[in-house]
Amino acid sequence: MNEKIISPLNRVEGDLDLKVVFRGNKVIEAYPMSRLFRGIEIILKNKYPMDSLVITPRICGICGGSHLMSAVEALDMAYKAEVPPNAVLLRNIMALAEMGQNDVRHTYLMFMIDTVNKKYEKMDFYKDMVTRWAPFYGTSYKAAVKWSKRYTEIYAIFGGQWPHGSSMVPGGVTADPYPNDILKARGIINEITSEFIEKVMLGGPLDQFLQLKSVKDLDQWSQDYPNGDISKLWIYGREMKWDKIGKGSNFLMSFGHVPSAEDYTTENPKLRFKRGILNLDTMEFSSIDQANMLEFVTKSFYSYSNGDIGLHPFEGETNPLSPFSNDKYTFTKTFRYKLNGKLIAPEVGALSMMAVDNNPLIIDLLNKLGSNVLLREIARFVRLAIISEIIIEELEKFRFGEPTYKKPLDIAESKGYGLVEASRGSLGHWIVIKDNKIFNYQVVTPTQINMGPEDSYGNISHMSKALIGTIVEDIENPIELAHIVRSHDACMVCNVHVLDGNVEKMVLRL
Amino acid sequence: MRNLLWLQGGACSGNTLSLLNASDPDVFEFFSQHNIKLLWHPSLSLDSIGVKRIMEDIINGKIRLNIFVFEGSVILGPNNSGTFNMFAGKPMKDWVKYLAPLSEYIIAVGDCASFGGIPAADPNPTQSTGLQFFKKEIGGFLGKNFRTKSGLPIINISGCPAHPDWILTTISLISEGKMTEDMLDEFNRPKIFYSTTTQFGCPRQPYFTYKISSKELGHKEGCLYFDLGCRGAYTKSPCNSILWNNQSSKTRVGTPCMGCTEFDFPTFNFFHTEKNRSGIPKRLPLGMSRGTYVTFSAVAKGSAPQFLVRPLIKKKGDWIE
Repeated sequence: MNEKIISPLNRVEGDLDLKVVFRGNKVIEAYPMSRLFRGIEIILKNKYPMDSLVITPRICGICGGSHLMSAVEALDMAYKAEVPPNAVLLRNIMALAEMGQNDVRHTYLMFMIDTVNKKYEKMDFYKDMVTRWAPFYGTSYKAAVKWSKRYTEIYAIFGGQWPHGSSMVPGGVTADPYPNDILKARGIINEITSEFIEKVMLGGPLDQFLQLKSVKDLDQWSQDYPNGDISKLWIYGREMKWDKIGKGSNFLMSFGHVPSAEDYTTENPKLRFKRGILNLDTMEFSSIDQANMLEFVTKSFYSYSNGDIGLHPFEGETNPLSPFSNDKYTFTKTFRYKLNGKLIAPEVGALSMMAVDNNPLIIDLLNKLGSNVLLREIARFVRLAIISEIIIEELEKFRFGEPTYKKPLDIAESKGYGLVEASRGSLGHWIVIKDNKIFNYQVVTPTQINMGPEDSYGNISHMSKALIGTIVEDIENPIELAHIVRSHDACMVCNVHVLDGNVEKMVLRL
Repeated sequence: MRNLLWLQGGACSGNTLSLLNASDPDVFEFFSQHNIKLLWHPSLSLDSIGVKRIMEDIINGKIRLNIFVFEGSVILGPNNSGTFNMFAGKPMKDWVKYLAPLSEYIIAVGDCASFGGIPAADPNPTQSTGLQFFKKEIGGFLGKNFRTKSGLPIINISGCPAHPDWILTTISLISEGKMTEDMLDEFNRPKIFYSTTTQFGCPRQPYFTYKISSKELGHKEGCLYFDLGCRGAYTKSPCNSILWNNQSSKTRVGTPCMGCTEFDFPTFNFFHTEKNRSGIPKRLPLGMSRGTYVTFSAVAKGSAPQFLVRPLIKKKGDWIE
């Protein structure tokens, strides 16, 4: 038995260490350990409800706009706000622009750079991968640095700045854009689409790519447009056996995204991307009720006043403990969903979002290959393509002269929640307001859903499942584990240490 | 060749992502133009040595550390152990303590590293502080008298996040040897960016001048200071002269300035102007006394051009007065 600690495994949402236990070359145990506590939920207590719009985006520098959207939907619900169609459109455009930025940066700056790893040096396409995807120098890497910024410009046109704008407010948005703003945003998204998505990522026309419905179609695409990164990823990815690693949970979950502008409601909204859970074994779809969500702290550095139970976020507690404990090992709480009376630990992310929405290409890929590292990356390409189209559609629907804000009532005692699909998966905010102040605020993040520790029944979460059973070719270079963690949009780097007796030896930067 | 190390404490990575938005030059062009070697950065690096080795080599004198950039608060909790923020096997605060005296220059990037920022907000559950300031008080983690090898204190580039131009300009001044202590203000921020207020360049300035208020959110016209909690009249930042993402700023899209470049951020009760009993805002524009404010208001309101007191472009509504 050989134990490795991957430390630090940095992410945009905090530092993560990963403890992995090997038997021979096979992972038999895996423990994601979150090493950073900032106490945002505690800071929000007793503050004004609207303050969540400024504080919660600062939970995460790469997906603050998603936190803003969750927070504002929770406040919309709490204040029974009516939101004018224009405002819903602008919120959607901002959320999708941030998602576009994230998916490009994740794919090229955080994930594809691992293709330069020495494991692949002997592959005959290694040179092509380095030419395209090497950090700082690869042609696609450079293009990604350039074009990911342009998405943030779209966000800033309506949100003032990215990151950390606060232009979504209960009842609408603070922005009141003029036709020239709409025109400019359209110009930018069109340019991103033609110069980057079509030329670099897909290698061919977007509208044609969106027609792909099956694995056969994707094979055809990679023959017709061999120069696109998606074609290379599809071919090289299988050669590198990325389709064989990182399965994980049997359930894919998505909170759904992009509410309909015409009839916006916070309870059971009409969504462009469906909300639900897909059972991978049966391909059965179930709807979601937030009342079935629970958080456990059995293995987390927190205590609950009523002991080791699962709490719904409305009743949630955040009482941190010192991170020294024999049986607790992480600052991440455990998320569980009660499906047909059983607690499940789902996977969230781009793949889940596309699968739950019944995207034909993704569904066919899942049917043939199951969930894996390669599909998670392909799902991001597919999502980026769809995002381009929706941003343009939403911009076209904007009506100048119509309101972008309707002041909601002040309600002194209320509750609300907001469920959105952030870039790396499902995100929820729950707010309880008493006396015009925040009585309780709880946030469930995608990273937490994927990487939480065991619950009080000993069931492990998705990321541990995805890692366990993995066979590593070279224990000194466990790049396979890096791919698995990274395919979930682990934005930051991490190091693997080998524990030889008590000597830590660094072997790999992930 | 100058070595730059970038670490994160109680951070959200907002400043890192902001830096990636730099254009003309972008961040990688900038580093190569300025001959800067990125020793390690939590989201950009790919080398096989690892950050722990690099930090140990700096501590053992094998590698020179010219520029040390720190993002996020320094976390001291719980009970001064620093263990709320573990990094490469140690509390992050310990790495900072060892690396700081060996650094030629240190930049605290963002409000958290400068003053403690959001993690340090009441009740400060993580015992967070800035590198050399805790909110208004000089001292912070490294102490009032701390100096880097260049003789300078910690250079604070506050803001939540800091704008990429502020960060890269500061690094370029340092690497060209042009940064001196008298270029810094009383919070050790570069005066070039932190002398004027957020109002400079705000397109709503005429509405402020004539005390014409936007009474509700959602509009491009009217001043946000009088009712909607805008802090732009007493916050030092160039947000309306050096625009964000080459496009805009908070006040341009009707979002009140949150005061995020200042030591007291976050002040809470955003989107709302707190007033005293006579209806005068509790926080007055920078350099104004209550007496001058009262006089200014009366004169300003009385002399307001009539066309400004109603919506200019969208002709409907009574949200401006």
